[in-house]
Amino acid sequence: MYYRLNGVTQRLIGAPAAAYSPQGLCPGVPPVSPPVIFASPTKLASETGSQAEYLRANRIPDLQKLFQRADGIPVHLKGGLIDKLLYRTTMGLTVGGAFYCLVALYIAAQPGNK
Amino acid sequence: MAHQAHAYHMVDPSPWPLTGAISALLMTSGLATTFHYKTTTLLFLGTTLLLLTMFQWWRDIIRESTFQGHHTTSVQKGHGYGMVLFITSEVFFFIGFFWAFYHSSLAPAIELGGLWPPTGITPLDPFEVPLLNTAVLLASGVTVTWAHHSIIEGARKPALQSLTLTVLLGLYFTALQAMEYYEAPFTLADGVYGCTFFVATGFHGLHVIIGTTFLMVCLLRHTHYHFTSKHHFGFEAAAWYWHFVDVVWLFLYISIYWWGS
Repeated sequence: MYYRLNGVTQRLIGAPAAAYSPQGLCPGVPPVSPPVIFASPTKLASETGSQAEYLRANRIPDLQKLFQRADGIPVHLKGGLIDKLLYRTTMGLTVGGAFYCLVALYIAAQPGNK
Repeated sequence: MAHQAHAYHMVDPSPWPLTGAISALLMTSGLATTFHYKTTTLLFLGTTLLLLTMFQWWRDIIRESTFQGHHTTSVQKGHGYGMVLFITSEVFFFIGFFWAFYHSSLAPAIELGGLWPPTGITPLDPFEVPLLNTAVLLASGVTVTWAHHSIIEGARKPALQSLTLTVLLGLYFTALQAMEYYEAPFTLADGVYGCTFFVATGFHGLHVIIGTTFLMVCLLRHTHYHFTSKHHFGFEAAAWYWHFVDVVWLFLYISIYWWGS
């Protein structure tokens, strides 16, 4: 049982269990109208039904599975090794840059150092 | 998958607010050291850090919404309020520059010759490139609305085409304006006319570039099937921002280019 606050009456109202369903968890099929006959796909349709794979394949279901793995990893590292590398580079620049900045400001604050 | 009894999003701990704040520190002190010592290291470092922060922060938001499903209707509503408040703050930012323009142009100082445009200034003809720029931005407002309707209707190909067209129009505006800047017979240093003109149109141009980038990201996301016909707030936010940029241009055109010539 989930509860919603009705903004008008300021009361909690019970909602059926389906009320809270993350909208990101849309079914893997994007709502695209079927292709017109002269634009029919040249390869067999995948499990996404009658959708034409226009420009690229739909990787959303795979990505949803990847990022919903219950491994306790925070979202900024959940993508794998490249996330870790990018994070470490960014943090390195942050810490290093902060020190460099303080040193530069210290030097700039010295009298006669214009 | 829900372990919470509310519809809001309690985010995972994130390092990006810290890195963003430090990048602001590096950029500001970097600007100061660049002016005084001509060394651009800090400024460059700060800008790099800012870009890294923005990329990773927004990447994480896409993961939390499209891949993890945290953006319920309530969360989207909050984002809507946030975007509206942000755009409102930007409106006030531009009001300041319009205030400066009208302050100087409604009662031109004796040093300017007591008239507007000031003596010696040849303003740009408002019915040449500036008028084209107006048409370009108005057209882009139409194409972004077309894109929105296409997304709602689930029409993938028209959505991609109209969104691409919007981005191209944005780039065309920037290119035209850059050419105008190069060819202009007056500069930023040409008194209060040059100052109000280039600061106001310059900040507007920066916002066009930001808006175009936002729309490009939306285009990329749409090719990757991130948007559904019912849930595409990122695109709506980009469209609102784009309309704001368009309206600012209309005010600039009427005030500075047309009335001010």
